[in-house]
Amino acid sequence: MDALINQLPTGLAIGAVLLLAALGLNFTFGQMGVINMAHGELIMIGAYTAYVLHAWIGLNPAYSLLIALPVAFTITGTLGWLLELSVIRHFYGRPLDTLLLTFGIGMILQQGARDTFGAPNVDVPAPAWLTGGITLTGGIRIHYSRLFILALAIACVIAIAYHLNRSRHGRQMRAVIHNRDLAAISGINTRKVDATTFFIGSGLAGIAGVALTLIGPTGPTLGTNYIVDAFLVVVVGGLGQLRGTVLAAFTLGILNATVEAWADASLAKLIVFAAIIAFLQARPQGLFTVKTRALT
Amino acid sequence: MNTPTPHLSVRGLSAGYGRARVLFDIDLTIEPGTIACVMGRNGVGKTTLLNTITGLITPTTGTITHNGTDITHLAPHHRTRRGIAYAPQGHDTFAPLTVAENLHVTHQATRRGGPELIDAALARFPRLQPLLHRKAALLSGGQAQQLAIARALVTNPSLLVLDEPTEGIQPNIVAEIEAAITDTAAQGITILLVEQYLDVALRLADTVTVIDAGRIIHTGPRTELTHESAHALMAI
Repeated sequence: MDALINQLPTGLAIGAVLLLAALGLNFTFGQMGVINMAHGELIMIGAYTAYVLHAWIGLNPAYSLLIALPVAFTITGTLGWLLELSVIRHFYGRPLDTLLLTFGIGMILQQGARDTFGAPNVDVPAPAWLTGGITLTGGIRIHYSRLFILALAIACVIAIAYHLNRSRHGRQMRAVIHNRDLAAISGINTRKVDATTFFIGSGLAGIAGVALTLIGPTGPTLGTNYIVDAFLVVVVGGLGQLRGTVLAAFTLGILNATVEAWADASLAKLIVFAAIIAFLQARPQGLFTVKTRALT
Repeated sequence: MNTPTPHLSVRGLSAGYGRARVLFDIDLTIEPGTIACVMGRNGVGKTTLLNTITGLITPTTGTITHNGTDITHLAPHHRTRRGIAYAPQGHDTFAPLTVAENLHVTHQATRRGGPELIDAALARFPRLQPLLHRKAALLSGGQAQQLAIARALVTNPSLLVLDEPTEGIQPNIVAEIEAAITDTAAQGITILLVEQYLDVALRLADTVTVIDAGRIIHTGPRTELTHESAHALMAI
């Protein structure tokens, strides 16, 4: 129990990163069922956006991070939107083809980043107001940058929940996802809703990318480190269930941190994956599902 | 001689799913403000006909004309926005959305009138009023069917297409749905109804069309049919 409490702050921090990476997938994979393997590269592009604003355009690190968030959202959102429009749209209902295609696009984007920024990792300096941290009782130190990521993740969840439940597009999106034909005969332009959903999901990848610059170096393969975990979070949470994604991200984060406290990182990963497999055997639908009166 | 434009006109329509052809050379004319009932046994193509008219299926041949405009290749959401509302079979609703959200999402997407349309639809189905904040997934079959029709009505339709609105619904709610259909027709809204229950169909219809194996085998005014002759047609 002590180990769990000691690792709780680290676990929450890992969970927040997982959550940010998974939130976008909650839209494109969870809601629309599109396996977009290039989502990791959208995260990577978000991170490089923060780098470009600082290193190329020369924005002051004190506020370049805050500017990077909306800029990255717009850039990766637009890229995702173009991806949906040009490629993914033509492969709805063909998950394997979509997976292979977007995997290839991810490769192209990675190579594009390598050609543009070079293969070595680059660093984006954190703003001065995020250096340092607070020390809790028991000598656990939490960096301000980790707290910032946690706050950012929470802010994103609140914004998404508001969007889904209160906005016109959010309602239309839930309608299209539940029943595309019924949505169409209800006057909803389903193509337009798909495009907007993809824009938001991809834009969230950009925000995750900017956040990742705070906890490590940025490189062309940044996204691939997170993509599998992000998919796992969405699956464990229950497809398209926002609260499931939140709960799964923090559970996996805390589990990871706790196991890592007494095992090495690879063994910890193995144990977490085994736990996920066992969980999905018992509950393949994930933590949350839509309740209906139907028996199925 | 000045012939009035039919509200909906279907000419030489054939349609199907992939290579499976379901409808063959269908001709159907519906006059404004009437209730047209399409009947036939299971699997003869009634739902396919409605899906083609509402745009969910693209016909292989033939044309569909609504108020004099060719809509054969119009996307379904554009058809709804020009006044063709559809309550599909199986009391289909947006299950994860609340009753109120089901109505609002449709009302906002079609943009064919103000919030009074929602009030009117709820007045038509008062059972829905206390359920506004309940998820549609948790409604009973009868409640869901009422929501499905209310959802169609908030689009302020000129043509209401209903696919078996009374199927599997308890008798007292069937009566309410029947009354709603009669009232809607009385407002001048044209209705295209697929109905399996002969009694209900014969009470409501102005014209009756019977389909068998994807072809029309009878069409004419309700008055031409007796209960027995209708029964005979259905049993073919």
